[in-house]
This record gives sequence, structure tokens and C-alpha cells, in this order.
Amino acid sequence: MASPVSVYNSNALDTHIPSIPRESQKMELLANVSLLPGEDRIIDKDIIYICPFNEAVKGKVLITNYRLYFKSSDADLAVTLDVPLGAISRVEKMGGASSRGENSYGLDITCKDMRNLRFALKQEGHSRRDIFELLFKHAFPLSHGLPLFAYVNQEKYSGKGWSIYNPVEEFRRQGLPNNKWRFTFINESYDLCDTYPTVLAVPFKSTEEDLRRVSAFRSRGRIPVLSWIHRENQSVIVRCSQPLVGMSGKRNKDDERYLDLIREANDTPKLTIYDARPSVNAVANKATGGGYEGDEYSNAELVFLDIQNIHVMRESLKKLKDIVYPNVEESHWLSSLESTHWLEHVKLVLSGAIQVADKVSNGNSVVVHCSDGWDRTAQLTSLAMLMLDCHYRTLRGFQVLIEKEWISFGHKFSSRIGHGDKNHADQDRSPIFVQFIDCVWQMTKQFPTAFEFNETLLLTILDHLYSCRFGTFLYNCESAREQHGVRSKTESLWSMVNHKIERYQNPFYTLDSGRVLYPVASMRHLELWVAYYIRWNPRVRQQQSPVEQRYKELLALRDEYLKKLEQLALSDSTSSHLANSPSPHTSSPSQQLTHLHTPF
Amino acid sequence: MEHIRLPKVENVRLLDRVSPKRSRVGTLYLTATHSIFVENEAGVRNETWVLHSLVSSVEKQVATASGCPLLIHCKNFQVLHLIISREQECHDVHLSLQRLCQPESFEELYCFSYKPNVDEKERRQEWDFLDLKADYRRMGLPNSQWKLSPVNQHYKVSDTYPAELFVPESATPPVIVGSSKFRSRGRFPALSYYSKENHAAICRSSQPLSGFSARCLEDEQMLEAILRSNPRSDFMYVVDTRPKLNAIANRAAGKGYENEDNYSNIKFQFIGIENIHVMRNSQQKMLEVSELRSPSMSDFLEGLESSGWLKHIKAVLDAGIFIAKAVAQEGVSVLVHCSDGWDRTSQVCSVASVLLDPFYRTLKGFMVLIEKDWVSFGHKFSHRCNHLVGDPKEVSPIIDQFLECVWQLMEQFPCAFEFSERFLITIHSHIYSCQYGNFIGNNQRERIELRVRERTHSLWSYLWMNRADYVNPLYRPDHSQTQGLLRPSTAPYCFKFWRGLYNRFDRGMHPRQCVEDYLRAIREETQQLEEQLASHKEKISQLEQDQVWSDTWIPTASDNSPTVWAHGNDLGLVNTPQDYTGGFITSSPCQPKAPDGALILVPQDLNQTTDSNFSNGSDQESGIADLSCRSPLSEDSARDPDSDEAAYSAA
Repeated sequence: MASPVSVYNSNALDTHIPSIPRESQKMELLANVSLLPGEDRIIDKDIIYICPFNEAVKGKVLITNYRLYFKSSDADLAVTLDVPLGAISRVEKMGGASSRGENSYGLDITCKDMRNLRFALKQEGHSRRDIFELLFKHAFPLSHGLPLFAYVNQEKYSGKGWSIYNPVEEFRRQGLPNNKWRFTFINESYDLCDTYPTVLAVPFKSTEEDLRRVSAFRSRGRIPVLSWIHRENQSVIVRCSQPLVGMSGKRNKDDERYLDLIREANDTPKLTIYDARPSVNAVANKATGGGYEGDEYSNAELVFLDIQNIHVMRESLKKLKDIVYPNVEESHWLSSLESTHWLEHVKLVLSGAIQVADKVSNGNSVVVHCSDGWDRTAQLTSLAMLMLDCHYRTLRGFQVLIEKEWISFGHKFSSRIGHGDKNHADQDRSPIFVQFIDCVWQMTKQFPTAFEFNETLLLTILDHLYSCRFGTFLYNCESAREQHGVRSKTESLWSMVNHKIERYQNPFYTLDSGRVLYPVASMRHLELWVAYYIRWNPRVRQQQSPVEQRYKELLALRDEYLKKLEQLALSDSTSSHLANSPSPHTSSPSQQLTHLHTPF
Repeated sequence: MEHIRLPKVENVRLLDRVSPKRSRVGTLYLTATHSIFVENEAGVRNETWVLHSLVSSVEKQVATASGCPLLIHCKNFQVLHLIISREQECHDVHLSLQRLCQPESFEELYCFSYKPNVDEKERRQEWDFLDLKADYRRMGLPNSQWKLSPVNQHYKVSDTYPAELFVPESATPPVIVGSSKFRSRGRFPALSYYSKENHAAICRSSQPLSGFSARCLEDEQMLEAILRSNPRSDFMYVVDTRPKLNAIANRAAGKGYENEDNYSNIKFQFIGIENIHVMRNSQQKMLEVSELRSPSMSDFLEGLESSGWLKHIKAVLDAGIFIAKAVAQEGVSVLVHCSDGWDRTSQVCSVASVLLDPFYRTLKGFMVLIEKDWVSFGHKFSHRCNHLVGDPKEVSPIIDQFLECVWQLMEQFPCAFEFSERFLITIHSHIYSCQYGNFIGNNQRERIELRVRERTHSLWSYLWMNRADYVNPLYRPDHSQTQGLLRPSTAPYCFKFWRGLYNRFDRGMHPRQCVEDYLRAIREETQQLEEQLASHKEKISQLEQDQVWSDTWIPTASDNSPTVWAHGNDLGLVNTPQDYTGGFITSSPCQPKAPDGALILVPQDLNQTTDSNFSNGSDQESGIADLSCRSPLSEDSARDPDSDEAAYSAA
């Protein structure tokens, strides 16, 4: 039996494709670094890593166009760092040529993935100048006219990640088009809405002209379009941006009529509009021309879901980082955790999604929006769909969900993450997608058998959200991705994932009927995702979940026993005279097997 | 019965605690031992039974238009919110329950009237299930350093200690008696745990009556004897589990702690665990948080933090870790005490034992541990758990904290414990329920006087009989994590709120799916298969023996000649149902050598288990094999079908 090994630990960025070890000159420490195809060494250097968990560690650092790699030279203190440059948000010089004290001169690196790194160098002879400049250049390639690594990367996988999501196929799976909903290609050249995908599903009765008029009344032209339809009751989740009501309280008959068409499509008596924002924010948005649907929308009710904006989320996660990195706040852990409000935000997002899912499964169509409809809206629709549709809970279905609700509908990954961009203080950055993955993780904790994928997949997704190794999360919208040839010039994260899919499979997964999952969004249930947020702390045990491991072992054992039984049965059979009369009452191992296989 | 003013109330509404809009209407019955709420809903027979001895408080609230609310809090953290339509009825129920839940004498306790369907002989055997002496033997005692002392026979030296105790070989009765006079309540230092590997021991006692300067030669000799019984160590720890201030305050009352100068080679250490009053208040606050209907994040997290509960749990665990490390890593003996040595000392000694010894992490070992460090050493269960009406200041959730420490450890080491959370919760419940005699009274002497062994049932044998319900499917005795000393992390995020206990009765608050159920199912399945395998193997070895006897050639399981394949063919007809076909064929060891005809025929045979197919399948070759194979077995063949069937049906 395998002992617990650190399967998805710290530097778990997958490098399980055979990569080409480059010729190393004198740096024997770095000789075994396996680089990706297309990855090039830029510089290596003697350096001291000021490890926050131990003392300072001497070693060598290697910078490539993809990663920062550090290995300690001291065999007793084995420390290895393997950080994709994409995870770096800020590089600064620490101390000056004249600063005193040991290890006070060097580099201070802030990462996007909940850690900071500090390196010290010898003070004499501007020893850090070259490494600082090269690191700065390659960590922020877009600010220096260089391509993102995804464009240089030569990895090839059999996974065919770019074909995982085909909008028309996905709609077909949902049973569309039908007599109430049609496809429109009005946005084929992105002139209706430059942040939307090309294929949209809209009410059958709406004309292309309607769509154009509605787009004029919705922020950034993001008109209400169908995200998901309930197969049985035909109620739908529709997403959009806020209406441009403004201070004067403008009305738009076309928009009002259009929403009523959505309602009519399945005879919902009252269409529910979920505005993800706190009502105060929605009101404040009127000042900048936005707003929310008022009483003029007859047959509709508006519900605010009180989810805070990107700035609040950014600050919240920053506070969380403060209490967990490098040291975990000891004396007032719970109140410190409370003061970050992170779990409260997670709770609000989840409970918003639960409301959406509940409405829809009760046969009522809903419209979801926030301000622009690409942050909170994406969270709510995708989580609600995850609750409603068991297809999205499979490994491939989850990839489709992300491709559809997040990537194709223009969640601004580039702005929110700041890929390759040096401007670390950019107010557009925000961990909205991280928060979504956290919500998914909370759901997997509450429904351990409902998801085909495991925690490793979630961690891998978050790692490559930053890494820039794959094209999947690059750019803000489909039109930009098309313009930059992402599909043709880069590899998809899903190619790698699907290439080694067993790594991401949840052994507890049982294919069950399409039940709706309602997680409990209560404080008693929400947990801090320690395996992600505190993963760099050596005190966090990095082991494969013993539960998962045990289950796998038992499954293997069962198969082994079954095999042995067969073998025995082969030789044993003739001794019995049962051959002619198989008793119907004999309960056999495999009958038991099928029974136990779906016991719940 | 005389306390029941109203045996039956109709039209009572039971509110759901999580969502009070949901309620069930039914009838409330008061019996001598239980309150029973029976739901009136047509078609469902839904009953809620609440044992009177589990009720901790009954509160009648101001009547509203809808009726008169009655709030029943239980010691197992169940809360019943009843609405009784008529105020007078509510009043009567209130008064009845108040009396029923606070028995005035031991004789009223449920254990003396609880009569399950067990005859007297079995009942007596229940009490022999656990044998503490066997546990000491397991530790290797008595040995040349430690002996069983009869000094406390008839509870003459300490009336709260057990009659049988292990003390250092060199401790003479005068030393023990002298030491006991210098210790609160005569609770002299006695052995709690002994490590066979390195001879270090955990001893326990109460505080010394040292005041500001008093000394006692015998007590000093007693500690010296403990130190010397560990020949490899030149010092020992004395751990006072109280906060230093409390210990100093005790000096003014003529009590206190050991002066390092008076005792040779001791290292004295305070490990601050708060007293029973602080713990009682802390749990109260924590429970208020757990009862919040839909707490906001700050209500919950700040409430939990300001209750201090998890901090206290950590303190107990920290103390246990200190002692376990001293014993396992340094090989140093430890004497543990608090004030009287029956609360914090019990907690710390038993937590240390759980960390140290894998045996205490098994079902039986854990029972032994509670029996030893808690029951026999006189943790005052009846006072702390409020079994009888008494001083509310004596009540404190000390044992709850111990169980929770173990639960927190289980969360960190899911493979290290043979038992599950459910085991802890069941023990918790019965510590308070008074259904079994184990926890009645405050010490061994009281239990002897109450003739508990003669008159009541034992929880331990009940748990053992039903152990299948309490097994942790993740338990792996061979796992590296399971061996030796557990080294838990005490980082703050490792301490979780024990929803399973404190919100146990709030349905709808628990995870919808439980991985453990899956594990249990698959584990049962593998066990069944293992049994089948064993029975098959047994049969084979029997067959082989038969062969030797008859001295004829017969194929064995490992032989994959074509002849054997033919037998397999037969078996396919017998035992393998259709849904099993794929696995049967692909994993067959004989497949490569199997005759083509047979290979093709097998799936058909499996799909249509008819006689005609059978005859099709037995070509000439297999027919021969059949004969050659069966003949030597003829004496067995009459029995075989039965045994085969039994193997499967048992599975």
C-alpha cells in the first residue's frame, strides 16, 4: 500500500510531461531541473532564500522565461522553489548597497498565489542588478514587449482542450434550440457586444432589431441571453449587465418587452431578476448611468443579493493573506479570520447561487446581473448551474462550465489577474475566479460523491490561472482571444488535464440522477480552504486525503479479491454439483457488488 | 410515577430549530422515564423520545396567541421547542418534567429501572468485559519496578481512589500513607500509564498540602521512588495543570504545589488549564453560539472565539502533548496533578495516553482508558454531569472536553482511530443518560455501595456488542500514522467546531453526503469477499488433501492448463451472474491457454444459464476433465453445494 506522499503539494504545477533537460554548464545544482519544451534559461546565480519558515537558505536560483527555480545547496535543508513567473505580481529591490545587517540586500517578490519570496545577495558589485532586471522583464513580459510564455511553450498533449467546449453542442445538450429559444449569430463579428461570445441563445420571439435596441440599454451591450435551461420545466437562467437607467430614471420599452418575452417563454408568472449587488451599490450606479430594473418592469421582481464588488473582494483576500502568510495568526485566529470577511463573502455568493438554483428548479425563470455582468454574475450563474445540472459536475462538464460562463462570456481574466503586466496596484485586479473555485470546493466538501473531479483539479486550475503556461485564461474576452490567435498558438489547460485525467478523478464519485444540490451556506459549514490558502506553510500536512486514499485502496482490494475469487472458482467448480441447478436464491458476490455500488 | 401530573397532552406542536416555520403537530406523553412526542401526521409514525435524565433544563416561556412555549434543553444538546395550546397543561408538564429530570436520590436513576432483555448471567458477564488489571498486564505490570499495592483496600487511605493501585516497588505502606496525608483528599501519587519501551511512567495525584512552607518527608520519598523506578532517567517532571495564579492562591488555603528545592531532581512545570467554573461558562457561551439560528459570520466566529472553548480544548491537548513527549521522546516520568486530581488530571493523563499508545485508539482500548483514568480514579461523574439534583457549581463539562480532544485528534489523524465520531457521541450521551451503571456516583466506593455491578447494566459490553456501528472505516492499524506517538498540530485552524456533537440534533445542518458511509459499504464488501476467499481457500486445501489421499492427479488453482479452463466453464454456469461477465473473462488466468471453442462459449454460457448450453459447453475435453475431477471428490460432493451456498449467503 502506498504511504501518504505529497501528491499535490506546494509546487504542484504539473510538469508530468517528459520535458527536455537542458545542457547545464557548471551549475550542477540546477542540472536536473526539467524544463518545458520552449522554456529557456535566462540566468542563474548564487543566492540566499530567506525562508520565512526556517532560516536563510543558501542555494542557487535559475530564472527561465517560464519560472523561477531555487534549490538549496545545503543537503540538510532541502528547499526547492518552483514558481511560474506568471504567479509574480511584484518584484522589488530590498535594501541598498549600504544597508546593514545580514541578508538585508536583495529582492522582495510578491506573488499572486498567497506567498511572498525574499532573496538576499552579496552586497558588493551591484550583484542583483542583472537578476533584478531580467526577472522584472520576464515576469512582466507584456510590459516589455515580450510574448506570454503560452506563446513560446511547445508542449503538446493529446487532450484536445480547445475542442472541449462548443457552444452550439452545449446548447444542443440542453435541448436548444426549441420553439421558445433560438440561436442568434448577430454577434458574429462582435459588433453587438465586443465582450460576448458569437453564438447566443435568445427568446424565439425576439427579432435581431430587438436585440440591437436592448443592447443600447444594457451596460457594454451585454444583453440578457440564455445561460441554461431546465429540461423539464423549461425555466431558464438568463445573464446580462445592468440596465442604463441613470439618474433620470430612463426607460426602455424594448428592454421591458424583451424581459417579458423571457418570462413568457415558460409562462413564469413573475420573472425574478437577481441583482448581485448590495442595493446601495445599485443605487449608486445610477450616478454613472447604470442602475437597476424598476417598477416599470411589470411581471418582474427584483432581488438584491448583497455581494460586494471586486475591490472589497481584493482587500478581503489581502487581509486573509496577512493572517496566514508567512505565519498563521495564533492568538485570535477566529476573530482574525472573521475580520477578513472572506468566508462571509463566500457565504453570500453561495447563498445567492442557491436562491437562483432554487427558483429555477421550481419552474421560475430568472435573470442575473450585477454591474457589467462579468464578475458576480459569472459566479452566480455558474454556481447555480453546478447545483442544477449534474453534467457540470463531471470532469469534462466542469471544463465546459468554466469555458462557457467564465471564458466565453468575458470574465476579464487578463484584467483581474494581470497576466504579464507589471502594474501590481491595478485596481482592476481581483480574485473573483478564486472565490468561485473556493465556492466549488465548499460544495465538494458537502457533497463528496457528487463531483467527478477532486481537489487536485481545483488546485491545478488555480495554479494555471496565474502561470501563463496555457492559453485558457488569457485575455478578457473571446474577441481578444481570437485576435491574438490563442487557440492556434497556445495549448489549452484542458489538454493537459485530460491527458492524465485519472489524476483529477474523485474516487467517491457516483453517477447519480440529476438531483439538485443545495449546499448549506451556513457559517457552521463553511471552512477556510486550508489546503489552498495556507498551502505554503510547512505545518499544513500535505498529503493525499487519507479518506480518498483509503477508498481507492479498498476499491483496489475489492477488485483483487474478486479476481482471486474467480480464479478459485475456476478450479473449485467441479467439486460442486451445482452446475445443473443454479439456485436463484444464491446471493453471489457480484450481485452484492451491484447492490453496494449504489447504496445511497 | 407520582411526579407526573399529566401523562398525555394532545395538540402539541414541536418546532424545528433550524427553520421554526416548520413544525410538527402531535401528542406528548410523559412516562416514568421518557417524554415521548408522537407525530399525528397520517401515515407516519414519527416518535421523538427524550429520556428524563438527559434533560438539563425546562423553561416555560410567556404564552402567545398560538400557545404556551416550553423549551427543553438536554445534556446531549438536543433542544425541544414545544408549543402547548393550553397554559395549564404547559404548566403541569413543566412542573412534572422539572421534577422528573432532577432525581433526588440515586435510586431514582434510570439505570436501576432499565431492564433490557438480558438474563442475569449475561448481565453479570457484561461487567467482566473490561478488566483493568489486564490493561496493567498489557503495560507489563507488575514488574520489578512497579507493584500492585493493597494499601487502599476498603478505601481507607483515599476514599475517592480505586482499591487497587500501582505504586513504585520501593514505596512502602508508611511512605504511601504519609504521602497521602500530605495530598488533598489523600490522593497520593499513583501510576496511570507505564511505557514498556522506556520505563517512563505517568503518575497522578492531587496537589500537595504545602501551603507556604510545609514539607512532608514521605511525600518527597514517594516522588523519589517514582523517579528511581525509571532507572534510565535522572530527573522527573512534575506538571501542575493549573494556571500558576490559581496554584499560588491555593497556597493560602494550605495547599499549593511542589517546591523544586524540597524534592530531589524534579522539574516543575505549570501548564495552565482553567478550572471547572471557567469551563462551564465557556461551554455555555459556546452552546449559545451553536444554537444561533442563522448566525452571521461575525456572530459565529467571534462568538466562538469569545467563548474561549477551542482555546481550552487546545490547552488540554497542549498539556497532553507535553506529557506524551516527555514519556515517549525523553523517556522521563511525569507526575501530573491539578487541585484534587480528578478533573484536569484525568483529562491530561488520558489525552497523553491516547497520544502515546495505539491501544487506546482502538475501540476496546478507549473504553479501558475511560474506565481507568476517569471512572476508577474518581472523576466525579454524578456531580459533574448533574445526575442528581445538586450544587450547580459542581457541574462542568470536563469529560466533554476530553471526548472533544479525541475528536479533534481524529480530524487530524483520520486513520489512527479504530472508532468513529459516533462512538464518542454515544459514550457522551450515556455518560449523561444514567441508563448504564458505569458512570453513576462519583467514585468506586460509591458505586460499590450502590451495588452498581449487581443491579445495573454496563455500557461497555453494549458498545462492544454493537461495535460494527462504531468502527471507523478509515482505520488502518498498519499505517505509519497509526503507529506510536501521535504528533498533532496545534495551529489554530486545526481546532474545529464539533458540529456533530453540539448540533447533533439539528437536522438540515449536516452534510448531505457522508464519505464514511461509502467507505463503510466498500469495506464491508471487501470483508465479505475476503471471507469468501478464505472459505474457498479452505475448500481448496481440503481438495488437495483429498487428492493426496486418493493419490490421483487433479488440477489446482494455479494450474492453468486447458483442463482447468473447462472446469471454469462449469463454474461460470454456476456462480457467475451475467453482469459479471466482463470481469470474469478478462481476469481469467486461463484465458491465454483456453481452447478457442471454450473461449467463445463462455460469454454465452454466462448469459444463458440453461442446461442445453451447458451440454454445448462441455466438449469432449472438458467432459473428460469433469470425470477425472469429480471422481475423487465423490465423498465430498454431497456436502459441497450447501457449503458453497452458505459462503455466499453469509457474505
